[in-house]
Amino acid sequence: MADVSGDGFSGPGTGLLDEYDASRAYDEVFEPDGSVRSAYTRIVERFRDLGVTELRRLEKLVAEEFRRQGITFTVYSEEEGTERIWPMDLFPRLIAAAEWDELARGLSQRVAALNCFLADFYNGDGEALADGVVPRWLVVSSQGFERNAVGIRVPHNAHCNIAGIDVVRGADGRYRVLEDNLRNPSGISYVVENRAAMAKVCTWLFDDHAVQPAEQYAPMLRTTLESMAPDGRDSPHIVVLTPGIFNSAYFEHAFLARSMGVELVEGRDLVVDDHTVYSRTIEGLVRVDVIYRRIDDDFLDPVSFRPDSALGVPGLLGALRAGNVSVCNALGNGVVDDKAVYPYVGDLIRYYLGAEPIIDNVTTYMMWDPEQRAEALNRLDELVAKPVGESGGTGVLIGPHATEQELAAARSQIEAEPREWIVQELVQLSTLPAFADDRLESRHLDLRPFILTGETTEVFPGGLTRVAMRRGSLIVNSSKGGGSKDTWVLAHDSP
Amino acid sequence: MILARHAEALLWTGRYLERAETISRCLSYAADSITGLRADDARAEGELLVRTLGLTDELQAVGPLDSRPQLVAFLLSDRDNPGSMVSSIVAVRENLRSVRDRIPIELWEEANGLYLRFPFLGHENTPSDLHEVLLMVRRACLAISGVLNEGMRRDEGHAFVVVGRMLERSIFTVGLLEASHSDPRGSLDAGRMLRLTSSLQAYHRQHGSAPDFHGVVRYLLHADDLPRSVFSCLVRAQECLADLASGAEALDRPRRRTALLRSRLEFGDLSEAMVSAPVPALLDFGRELAEVANEVQEGIAPPQTMAAAPRSQYLRPGQISDGAKP
Repeated sequence: MADVSGDGFSGPGTGLLDEYDASRAYDEVFEPDGSVRSAYTRIVERFRDLGVTELRRLEKLVAEEFRRQGITFTVYSEEEGTERIWPMDLFPRLIAAAEWDELARGLSQRVAALNCFLADFYNGDGEALADGVVPRWLVVSSQGFERNAVGIRVPHNAHCNIAGIDVVRGADGRYRVLEDNLRNPSGISYVVENRAAMAKVCTWLFDDHAVQPAEQYAPMLRTTLESMAPDGRDSPHIVVLTPGIFNSAYFEHAFLARSMGVELVEGRDLVVDDHTVYSRTIEGLVRVDVIYRRIDDDFLDPVSFRPDSALGVPGLLGALRAGNVSVCNALGNGVVDDKAVYPYVGDLIRYYLGAEPIIDNVTTYMMWDPEQRAEALNRLDELVAKPVGESGGTGVLIGPHATEQELAAARSQIEAEPREWIVQELVQLSTLPAFADDRLESRHLDLRPFILTGETTEVFPGGLTRVAMRRGSLIVNSSKGGGSKDTWVLAHDSP
Repeated sequence: MILARHAEALLWTGRYLERAETISRCLSYAADSITGLRADDARAEGELLVRTLGLTDELQAVGPLDSRPQLVAFLLSDRDNPGSMVSSIVAVRENLRSVRDRIPIELWEEANGLYLRFPFLGHENTPSDLHEVLLMVRRACLAISGVLNEGMRRDEGHAFVVVGRMLERSIFTVGLLEASHSDPRGSLDAGRMLRLTSSLQAYHRQHGSAPDFHGVVRYLLHADDLPRSVFSCLVRAQECLADLASGAEALDRPRRRTALLRSRLEFGDLSEAMVSAPVPALLDFGRELAEVANEVQEGIAPPQTMAAAPRSQYLRPGQISDGAKP
């Protein structure tokens, strides 16, 4: 048990955890009284036995493993892209079985409602808009709204086949959804590789736990994609479409193609003839049925979208309209990635599913509502302001960390373009030990689980735990210095 | 069935891998042989090696090599020289990276591991332990070859790597023989040719005696049990191209030309020409090999547009019913 001393915990005999401070937020490992939460008991004991030297050695082994395998991501600076080794911290994140079941139900529910909305909006009568659940003007003014997607039939009405929903745990210990990623959510390959590295380097850590496996993602994804084949296409030809080797997520694209046993193609490998997509092989053209694209809408088809795109496939939109190919995720999902639509997801769940949301949103103020805007701007120094069309933490202003000038600038921008901003209550993300400065210190983290929807919906057990590697920081994005952790969903809870 | 882009990347993987290994072997030998020579001789020696490796144009772009360090830098670490060893290693890695989804993980890791040892080598940074570096590269190339042979499916991708390697190797060997006949100083003697092709030990075991020039020339051209002889390379390339051409018609032309070149070796046509005018004969043979390599690449490249080629040449798997079209 850890003692409360001063402003933190001092666990007797914990070594690396001696000066661990669990008081900043909800701590995943320690209870408020300093005792270790039951799921983490053995993990904490194991780490107690490790010294700094051993932990350093293990950390080096993981880094070397990632370096050897080329498990990297690219950070784009002003000049050029820099390939970096994927950062992983060794102290794993555990999610108890019962807790995960609840979370998974909530995620399925959320994605089901979002799929209903996308089908209603692009292929249906727009009932949710007609009934005022979401303002029509807000949706059609979204940068993610894709006019060309209207009327394109999507098998099973599954517009969002691969969703990454960012969830966080606040001070009260409850999970909340922070952000929906329904276009091209990335990170799953790192989830699987984190597990593989942990299994190699810290095998002994797994001895005391029944952890749900990570390698089942690829078969799950393949099943999902197969179910999205156009009518009558048995044994569909599936490809993963990548922008190429210079894309920041290229490692992931190659990983997914290899794990599923399908081809990784670039736009130049595909050609459309008579509204049918073919891949160029040395033996001629081979029909393609399902494209798991990792290219944004704007770049998919230079004929219909950005004419300067060299990444896409000319004529792809025509093939989609003809129903001769499926593109996953569907075109136009950006409309629900728009943070301006996010505050309405709870209402969409109630509207389409007739149920209360299992996972709530973070309390959000809509800046296009004058009353909410006035309240939020008045308290902006306590809140978080986010531009609705950005991702990866770009443009986010964290009120308590901002200067007066930054706050004033943000207020001006919000007043000028209220449609483009939301403001949220600051969530003190939960914390977990991470190895820094030769000891285990508390660091904030979030979780991105992945939800697959085709004929059925499956939630992959676990997800990408991103961790802020700087003390006190709430920024978990890897491009901004964040790290990651292996995420263990326990197969069953201890009695 | 392999994507055309993947086929091209694997063909070039084979070529660059062979090139990296060849340069490391040649440089290892040359670095020793020019030590202690007078400046003129050292320069001539270096230029002969550069010519043997087919890098004359690249050398002209940088000017004469006046010292051993310059020669080493040009062949080893000059990233502006697309034929340098480091450029070849980078190219192997980049090509394999673009087909990472279809190759064994170990193959990628070996190539990536080799690449990671060279990130900061530059002109001015010739390693002091040159022989260790070159030995490491040769071993890494052999490890990559091992994974290719033992860990990779014998599919079209594997066949393209083999074709690339065999054509590159035979082009080098023919170039070496041509350079040895052209060299007025006669420095590319029989023993040196055997060393530069890693064939000295095999030759001794088979022929016992001290190597004579014409015997070695015949050996490097015709030996059917020497993996580096031109004949062996053509046999393997022809076998792979025959498999590939059964599905890809466009590869039938380079297959037939490879068979023809093999026949010229096998049935004496080249041998006769070698007696009367060896240099033109070898130049002609080398040119034909290079043309075959180009034809393989052209055979891989699919038509850029549907309008550019008759529809009948495309394979249409399964039944594409008109009903499925709008």
